Amino acid sequence: MEELKKAIDIISNLAILLRTSQVHDINNVAVTNLIDKVTGLINDFLKEEKVLQIDLVGEFFYANDTRLKYSIEHLLNFDFLSRELKKRNTGTIVFKERIETPEIKTFVKAFITAGFSKDPFNTMQNSLKGLKTITVDRLKKVKEDETLDMRKVVKKTYFNAVSFSKGLINKIKAKEAVNIKKAKRIVESMVDLILEEEQLFLGMTAIKDYDEYTYHHSVNVSVLSIALGQRLGLSKKALNELGIAALFHDIGKVEVPLEILNKPTAFTENEWLIIKKHPQWGVKTLLMLKNPDPLLIRSAIVAFEHHLHYNYTGYPAVRNKREQDLYSRIVTIADQYDAMTSSRVYSRVPLPPDKALSILIERSGTQVDPLILKFFINMVGVYPIGSLVLLNTKDLGIVYQSNPVFPDRPKVRIIMDSTGRRTDQTVDLSEKDEQGRFLRSIIKTLDYTKYKINLAEYLM
Amino acid sequence: MSELSAIKDLLQTLLKTKKLIRMYPENNPMYIKAVNDMYEKFEEAFQQTSGDIAFQIRQYEILFQDEQVYQNPEKSDNLALFFFKDGIRELKFLRGLNKEELEEFLKIISIDEKELVDDDIVTLMWEKDFQNIKYVVDESVLTEDEDYERRATETLMENINSPDELLRVYRAAMESDTVRTPQIAPVTEEDLRALMKEFEKDSAPKLSKLVYIFSEILHQESDKKEFEEILSIIKSVLEYSIKVAEFESAIEILKLIKSAIDDGDIAADIKPHMRKIIEHAGSRAVIKSIGEVIDRIEIEEKIVLEYIEQLERNAIQPLIEILGELKNIRARKIIIDGLALLGRKDMQSLIKGLSDERWYVVRNIVYILRLIGDRRAVEYLLKTIKHPDMRVRREVIKTLGEIKAPQAVTILKDHLNDPDPQIRIATVRALGSIHTESAKRLLLQRINTKDFLHRTLEEKKEYFEVLSSWRDEEVTDFLVKTLKRNSLFNRSKNFENRACAAYALGLMGSKEHLNILKKYIDSGNPLLREYVRNAIMRISGTRMER
Repeated sequence: MEELKKAIDIISNLAILLRTSQVHDINNVAVTNLIDKVTGLINDFLKEEKVLQIDLVGEFFYANDTRLKYSIEHLLNFDFLSRELKKRNTGTIVFKERIETPEIKTFVKAFITAGFSKDPFNTMQNSLKGLKTITVDRLKKVKEDETLDMRKVVKKTYFNAVSFSKGLINKIKAKEAVNIKKAKRIVESMVDLILEEEQLFLGMTAIKDYDEYTYHHSVNVSVLSIALGQRLGLSKKALNELGIAALFHDIGKVEVPLEILNKPTAFTENEWLIIKKHPQWGVKTLLMLKNPDPLLIRSAIVAFEHHLHYNYTGYPAVRNKREQDLYSRIVTIADQYDAMTSSRVYSRVPLPPDKALSILIERSGTQVDPLILKFFINMVGVYPIGSLVLLNTKDLGIVYQSNPVFPDRPKVRIIMDSTGRRTDQTVDLSEKDEQGRFLRSIIKTLDYTKYKINLAEYLM
Repeated sequence: MSELSAIKDLLQTLLKTKKLIRMYPENNPMYIKAVNDMYEKFEEAFQQTSGDIAFQIRQYEILFQDEQVYQNPEKSDNLALFFFKDGIRELKFLRGLNKEELEEFLKIISIDEKELVDDDIVTLMWEKDFQNIKYVVDESVLTEDEDYERRATETLMENINSPDELLRVYRAAMESDTVRTPQIAPVTEEDLRALMKEFEKDSAPKLSKLVYIFSEILHQESDKKEFEEILSIIKSVLEYSIKVAEFESAIEILKLIKSAIDDGDIAADIKPHMRKIIEHAGSRAVIKSIGEVIDRIEIEEKIVLEYIEQLERNAIQPLIEILGELKNIRARKIIIDGLALLGRKDMQSLIKGLSDERWYVVRNIVYILRLIGDRRAVEYLLKTIKHPDMRVRREVIKTLGEIKAPQAVTILKDHLNDPDPQIRIATVRALGSIHTESAKRLLLQRINTKDFLHRTLEEKKEYFEVLSSWRDEEVTDFLVKTLKRNSLFNRSKNFENRACAAYALGLMGSKEHLNILKKYIDSGNPLLREYVRNAIMRISGTRMER
């Protein structure tokens, strides 16, 4: 455990060193001090471990094959290093034996020079040729078959959660005992997979043609909340708690008569009054499941507050204003985003993801917390998964995976090529040609909801 | 030792350690040794094996490299079944296993299964996020509906995208205007600082927020059935607040209910239900829970008293019950002070505690009555004065004195002859506190008895000290007379009386008595001489030469 902390410290300081070196000369005291510090940290690590291999795989850093889970204070440094390594097509840095200060200096120089090169990886590798203690390797692509396997696991976990959610509602209606242990286990699985395969899971929430909106909505809000919570730096345990609270956020709807819930036309005033009671009913339903505990209490708070709004203009109307719980603010955003982008009984036509995002931005500071929303937007990207986009190559595609380093350069699944023929290929919009120009860029987004596009065919 | 033997040995040690961990607290040397021994066994096993140690878990057996290393057909206390039932199918210990992780793992497997109400083993292991203990779980135990995924997928794929539709989309895309996409502002250092503040705020307990939500609901709800359901939830949350020692929230709940009872907007027929919550807050079950908490955890007295202050008279009897059960002195003091608060509201309930079989409870109740200081208690105290335990009797006498109950004088008279000197002294002091003419007379009479001469100096001194508090002519004359009194018989005992008279005159502090005292300044009796000198010194404020 101690070694992992050291590795996180090394990566964080390495990022600071490289960022500082982009601004100051290598002999500037700010840089030399950092070189000394990083050298010391690496050598301290090498005393015990002999080798330190830092790998960037997908969006995650690994130290000697163990994935690093860092706290929020390291977030910007890790993001910076991930972006810079990707720019240089570099995925691995290995330090071994004992490192001397001039060697780190050479590495920094090589790193900076490679940033201006058309062939950054080879430039860097050549610059480091004389060094025995520091080596680099190319960025590896995540294997396609591994992704396929993971997709199956994600799909199974997602549908397990939906099926559980359905069973839960039925059990509550039938006044049967509810298995909270199982809810915890299901959300644990979701948390694990979101930590490893966030994009695949977000893809499942982007499919909007599911039959049973209520159950899928609960799971989608849970997935989006966990993913957002992860961006905020919540611990695994907290993510589980958040995921469960999000899964239960609409549980009060069990008390809303089905004829109202499934009404295809606009609600009457009286029907609205009933709908608006579901947050309160959520508190009651949850706290009647079993004896109170911290998880149920937190879930009850979220159930009560998820329509309250950041500025208390939502419902239920409250006499005294107390700040919304952090989890409630997260779930509010996830709930609004998923509701807007879904086809519901009372709102058949969903909004395209980018439009929903724009509306959320309009609601920033009024209905939703601006700070949390900022993290959410950074998570889903300019073009959220499921966006229908036209590329400058005249290819039409669906955003398949967002790119946290280049938010406007997601992975896109091409569905029609430039000749108007149906096709199926995935492209990464961050890929460049030999001259360093991006191969493809998005020029238009389209409202897929106007057409009968079945996203499940591409995202599942 | 072969690899397989080492693994079998490891599992046997694991079973033994599991028992020891369950048996001893963490700071016990046996516990510490068990963890250390287990860790050593793992180190030995890692040396014997080529890599990590992976166990395959079956229902009634554990395998290592396909060889059975544990087997147990029983349904209880079965290590294989313990993991298997929650879906664990493989358990792997990596070579980097450290002692902290191992200890956490041992704690998990040592939990009594009956205690695992809200979490299973997988959840507990998951929450620990072990780096060197990995497990494979069969997630099928989580599947509610085996066929759900297939059905949902088939439904989704029913409407496969038609080439014509895609072409229509494509053409529309070519013709449509460019849609403006939202700009993304990157997360800044300032955002991270703001987020850190959010996390700090988030660490505050959540119960208070829930109570706030209850208050909002109570003021919005008009349906009687809903009201009753919410009240029943509030009741269970109240119990929970006590269990987790969050007395602040429990107080908030009681205040909320009381203000709702006083609220004219809330329907009158709901209010009896609300009162039941207040009653429940002082019920035997809740008070027992309070006792368990304050006996175990050091909680600020003020906050517990604030809770007790909110209770009704029904809490008195349960509080008396736990008073006799608490082990911790600090906890007992809290309950005593709490009973003093509630006893003012209903002394009759408190007085019932005087009939408790446990002498120490009776003594505490008498003490509480003293704290309350209400003379209505005298009648009951006088009945308790005959309690078989001397410690209770003494407490009653003291209390009667402090309550200044004049009607107690007659009863106290008998206790001046109690065989126990401490009771006698307490009685004298009580009479001094009561300070009536009859009390004074009783003391004077007693001093004048022949028997008094043979009391200890300490007891005599008590009499004279108490007597000096009257400071009237009768007492002064009596003291002067006693000081002067010579006797041919029991001379030394008489000198004690005279010395005590000098002592009392000194306490009275009147300069008028200096002359008479000075006459005995050089008395041949050292005790009288010493007491006289001290009395003069006390009155005149000057030191006497010896």
